[in-house]
Amino acid sequence: MSVLRLRNPIAEPVEQKMEPARRPGDLNGKRIGLYWNMKGGGDVALAHAQTLLRERYPQARFANYQGSVGFIMRHCTPAEADRIAKEVDVVIGTTSD
Amino acid sequence: MMEFEKRGVPTVSFTAETFVADARRSAESFGFGGLPLAVVPLPFTNQPPDAVCVAVDECIADVIAGLTKTIAVQKQVASTTDEWLTIKGPSELEALEEMNRLFLERGWGDGFPLRAPEERSLAQILKGTTRSADEIVAILEPGFGKATVEKIAVNALMAGCRPEHLPVVIAAVECLAEPQMYIRNKAMSTGPHAPLIWVNGPLAKRAGINSGICALGPGAPSYANTVIGRAVRLCMMNIGHTYAGVSDMDTIGSPTKYSMCVAENEPGSPWTPYHVDHGYKADASTVTVHFVYGICELHDFTNYEPARLVEVFATAANNAAQLSTGLWLIGRRADPRYGTEEKEHHTMFICPEHAANFRKAGWSKQDIRKAMYAKARMRFDVLMLAKERKAMEAAHPELQWLWDSPETMLPVVEDPDCYEIVVVGGAAGRGAFFWGAGEPQTREITDVGGDT
Repeated sequence: MSVLRLRNPIAEPVEQKMEPARRPGDLNGKRIGLYWNMKGGGDVALAHAQTLLRERYPQARFANYQGSVGFIMRHCTPAEADRIAKEVDVVIGTTSD
Repeated sequence: MMEFEKRGVPTVSFTAETFVADARRSAESFGFGGLPLAVVPLPFTNQPPDAVCVAVDECIADVIAGLTKTIAVQKQVASTTDEWLTIKGPSELEALEEMNRLFLERGWGDGFPLRAPEERSLAQILKGTTRSADEIVAILEPGFGKATVEKIAVNALMAGCRPEHLPVVIAAVECLAEPQMYIRNKAMSTGPHAPLIWVNGPLAKRAGINSGICALGPGAPSYANTVIGRAVRLCMMNIGHTYAGVSDMDTIGSPTKYSMCVAENEPGSPWTPYHVDHGYKADASTVTVHFVYGICELHDFTNYEPARLVEVFATAANNAAQLSTGLWLIGRRADPRYGTEEKEHHTMFICPEHAANFRKAGWSKQDIRKAMYAKARMRFDVLMLAKERKAMEAAHPELQWLWDSPETMLPVVEDPDCYEIVVVGGAAGRGAFFWGAGEPQTREITDVGGDT
């Protein structure tokens, strides 16, 4: 019987921990941010989501956002994220494809 | 969306089914297990509006749930478990086959047979560097893996590297981890971004890196090239945690992603070497990594006048089906976490024969760059064929007049310096053009061990 003793090639990741934001329980009366990353069709999806949510939550308010940097996928700068976080209660985004 | 969650704002993201694992893995790497998603069957891109609306209709309940229901925080990416693995077989050969089976099953290989990273070989390859085995060279995204010298050495060993190759691989990993490289984008993208590596200086020869005939391989003369390029890919996988279908969402993939490494043919170049142009001493050794999308041949057996050669080369740059062509019209690759922005660069491997023709006529590399910039131009409407109009409106409000003048000819890159020039290859009029993704990064190799 032959035995190979091998070094594991997998690097340990740096541990990161992030708590999810506290959910509001109900969207009525809430300010809903619609964040489009500028990939094709995302704007249509967010506009339609707004239509559907407005029917269910007539008191909700909506605001559209896009990031100011990037190319086929645009991102928020930290300053923009700070501003948006102050302006809305929740965010719906198109981020992955 | 992580940035909003960090700021106390609940989020939900529309995500296509194929990208669910990718999105979750990405969120987990930031320490956020349980990312709320509204899953749609297909990406919104390339879908007619009606189909997009149907997809949203079907997942609107998930949108609401994601924003209103408490998130069950899930377990993060599993950390490394055993640092040493024991594999048995009736013979050494069978144990090796078992190792290859097991490593592939775990996703740790690139598909080709791997060399066993056993203790004695590891000790040997580590002699190739003066660095300590436990030194953390970099943190490699997207998985935020700690790239210790030893982990790099293990992956280099698996790729087939020898001790003299290790410092090159370490410097390439440093290039990958440079914030300006924005590897998170290039590693995880749906595009075939592949690291093209070139080495300059005396170490290239000492490490046996081919700069001449068939430098990009395959074949015995390019052994060092092959294993160094392969090692960098394995480091992206096993240290950066870039895994196909999980965190590498490349639509088709590319053979270029297995390995692409050369040395600059400095003796065959009539100009100063690449690294000297970038501020390094001639006797320094450097590694440069440029992520590229693909290759096009620069074939010309006919012309010897520089202007005619550039005219031929420019046709390679004029390719609107290639993402980076005219990408500047809709912005720049940018990572807001580090405040970085990149212009799209292309790399040209000019063969010694063409290089000599340029030099005979008194042309410098900068003359070629300027001529390429002047010649590689396309109509605005053709450059925008596959680009989002609203992105162009956001990136360049001052250029909106172009929609009324679609025939306007525009450069395919932002400025002449977006063309990288490296002399590579044997004796024939055939170079290579690489459509780049962002900018290259260069690092000096300073940690060459005594046994190389």
